[in-house]
Amino acid sequence: MTVVRRLLDALYTLAAVLAALCLIIILALIVIQMLARWTGEVFPGAPDYAGYAMAAASFLAFASALNKGSHIRVSILLNVVGERMRFFLEVWCFSIATAAAWYVSWYIWRMVGFAIKFNDVSQGQDATPMWMVYTPVLVGAIILAIALTDNLITLLVTGKHRIVRDVTDAHAE
Amino acid sequence: EDWDMPMAYSATNFHSENGAKFAECVGAGTNGEINITVHPSGSLFKGADIKRAIQTGQVPIGERLLSGHQNENAVFGFDSVPFLATSFEDSGKLMAAAKPKLEEVLADQNLTLLYSVPWPPQGLYFNKEVNSVADMEGIKFRSYNNATSRLAELTGMLPVTIEAAEISQAFATGVAESMISSGATGYDRKVWESLSHFYEVDAWLPYNHVMVNSEVWAGVSDANKAAITACAETAAADGLEASKAYTQFTLDGLKEGGMTVGRAGDQLVSELQEIGETMTAEWLEAAGDDGTAIVDAYKAN
Amino acid sequence: MQEAYVIALFLFILFLLLGTGVWVGLALIGVAYVGMELFASGPTGDRMATTIWSASSSWTLTALPLFIWMGEILFRTRLSQDMFRGLAPWMARLPGGLVHTNIVGCTVFAAVSGSSAATLTTVGKMSIPELRARQYPEKMVIGTLAGAATLGLMIPPSLTLIVYGVTINESIIKLFFAGVVPGLVLAGMFMAYVAIYSFVGRDWKPDVETGMSFADKMKNSRFLIPVMCLIAAVIGSMFAGIATATEAAAIGVIGALVLAALQGSLNWSTFTESLMGATRTSAMIALILAGAAFLSLAMGFTGLPRALADGIAALDLSRFQLLMVLLVFYIILGCFLDGISSVVLTMAVVEPMVREAGIDMIWFGIFIVVVVEMAQITPPIGFNLFVLQGMTDHEMSFIARAAIPMFLIMVLMVFVLIWFPELATWLPDNVRQAPG
Ligand code: NA
Ligand code: NA
Repeated sequence: MTVVRRLLDALYTLAAVLAALCLIIILALIVIQMLARWTGEVFPGAPDYAGYAMAAASFLAFASALNKGSHIRVSILLNVVGERMRFFLEVWCFSIATAAAWYVSWYIWRMVGFAIKFNDVSQGQDATPMWMVYTPVLVGAIILAIALTDNLITLLVTGKHRIVRDVTDAHAE
Repeated sequence: EDWDMPMAYSATNFHSENGAKFAECVGAGTNGEINITVHPSGSLFKGADIKRAIQTGQVPIGERLLSGHQNENAVFGFDSVPFLATSFEDSGKLMAAAKPKLEEVLADQNLTLLYSVPWPPQGLYFNKEVNSVADMEGIKFRSYNNATSRLAELTGMLPVTIEAAEISQAFATGVAESMISSGATGYDRKVWESLSHFYEVDAWLPYNHVMVNSEVWAGVSDANKAAITACAETAAADGLEASKAYTQFTLDGLKEGGMTVGRAGDQLVSELQEIGETMTAEWLEAAGDDGTAIVDAYKAN
Repeated sequence: MQEAYVIALFLFILFLLLGTGVWVGLALIGVAYVGMELFASGPTGDRMATTIWSASSSWTLTALPLFIWMGEILFRTRLSQDMFRGLAPWMARLPGGLVHTNIVGCTVFAAVSGSSAATLTTVGKMSIPELRARQYPEKMVIGTLAGAATLGLMIPPSLTLIVYGVTINESIIKLFFAGVVPGLVLAGMFMAYVAIYSFVGRDWKPDVETGMSFADKMKNSRFLIPVMCLIAAVIGSMFAGIATATEAAAIGVIGALVLAALQGSLNWSTFTESLMGATRTSAMIALILAGAAFLSLAMGFTGLPRALADGIAALDLSRFQLLMVLLVFYIILGCFLDGISSVVLTMAVVEPMVREAGIDMIWFGIFIVVVVEMAQITPPIGFNLFVLQGMTDHEMSFIARAAIPMFLIMVLMVFVLIWFPELATWLPDNVRQAPG
């Protein structure tokens, strides 16, 4: 069990680090594009690559944002109900969220399939095959779905989910 | 049957108005058996997503500027080869020459072509007077695809990539100083606030194509197919007339806005023709036998 | 009748999912899913994937994480603290004190960024901890921030005005000029409210800065220089024509890193913390944007916003009546949709109505922006509320209540615009850009 736990946690961290790298890539792409223009050079496709990095950064960070409590929710009801009721409410929330995340993952998976079937290529100057840039998004969506499933199972087994609000994000303020 | 029809341009654009009339015609012609709702302004799907949406059956029908998809197949760019067909008449002939090949390529992608309507011809916008290619040297030119980048390269301009959303701002702040586009784009974006000259070089006339998903099409009764095809023919003819009328209207509008509008000088035209031949040759290389067949059929006419 | 049924169902599912605590982005996906399954024939999931991809991979969106990152750097190094050290002695004696920094900060930042979320996170990250430390009433801190951040949409550059201008073929530059004065007036109205509150508010007991001599004040002002330079660099790069709006965001990040390094507060841990914090915050916003895009698609397929706009067109109203009905219409729509979606989904029907009533379309653009700004702070779906919840850990209901005065000020602003249309039309009519 602890091996699975360690693997899962490593997976979330890895995805978050990759997402952060994507943010640096966005910055680098925009800076290079700017420098290229100033010096009369061209960097074809830079805006397209920045867009792909944006999507990848968002999706790869979804799971880590969930586990660190960054995704927001309306918790008025959760805060007023008793312990037992809260447990059922949390189960309901995690069930809906888990279903939604797997649903999204499945259809992004299908989108990758279509992209390969129709040989879909980016319309920008980058001419990247679309399945390549869909893949990080698919991976991120699946990792979010795994993280939600992980939380749901933990909740059902132990009575507590694993979301811990990152203190440096909020309380330090 | 209800068909949702995404269109990329705003409701008042002549393509959208034409599409709305087509939808009405289909409703009447099929006695309400097929009821098309148009969704202009990219309110359902953005322009870039519309072709894929029709292919995969997310919507039965839609309109798309196919030259945006040249990366997929160079044939889609037949209408955007600079200086190959430089009038409504020539462009109509080119469209006719390309149609069989285009329909074949689309059929492979689960798409059936209903009708095509050209945009007004593409001209050059500058913030100064330009009489020769030499005058273009070093001007910052808005490029948005490989062909426009290549055009900048061949004319000695500096291609800068500016996304559509930032066009006005880019011209106002001088990030870009020139672009190639129809008089309509300049008129819609009111570019006379930042740019001064428009040269009618009629470089090419890109087409918007209304396409239907082939599986959906196969399920339409023969009577309704005939009705829709008839409406499509009317729409193609009306759209062409609207495009011609709009060309004059927008050129007048640019003048009224204070721009110098006119044909390019002889020297510029002949220099651009030369560049056009280079780019046609390059396109033919990319488009292979299909491209050669289209250009041969066009030139034979 | 069909419409009433659709509306009731949408509302029920929305409140059920949001109210029970389902994460906002996923709840929106759930609502949109139900709407699509019931009212649109065809493949819901594939349509969703297309829309989510296109909403998530947009190039114009890339400025958002960069601005968030810049805010994180300023917050995690000592830069934002310094700025307040420089500002405090000057502003503490003003009625309203340092709360004005929220409004001034948002106004300045609005000139850099076209989105309200970026404005909010950047300014909020810096100002909230400082204002809290000085015991300003929490409601004022949160409320003014929620309200003033919406100026990001009105003061150019503005994504909303770009979308509006492209949709109805009006000059974006004229729209940008039109937004300047109303934006400043609105900021002034927010500041006036803060000043009045400082006299009448019972919970207004901020720490008073100890008296400082003029020389000390001047000496303290040197702390302002770094951040002022950064702001000047970001705005200046845009107006000098060396950077587009998105590139200005990149300049902001690099500038903040350079400042932090010069100051000696940049190290591996502040760098990685700021980067990971920005990654998570932008992921949070991206999930909501993805859900909102899907909901907007569902609305498009059901045709609901258009049907409602059609209903208004059939009423045959006078000019003022039309504006009032549209005000209410967009406020209600704004509760459930983001501003850009409500513009795109309704403009096809609203534009001819407004033109026919003889209303200036540039002026109407500013009217729309004020109304869309309200949408940012109205529950249940208000982006500024979400972002602030993410930043402060307050319940959304608390934030929404804190923002009510700002909402009312914006309603007042609509009437000010109706009474004095020149606020929006004078500048664009009189600034004529010399061609070439
Ligand atoms: Na702004
Ligand atoms: Na709202």
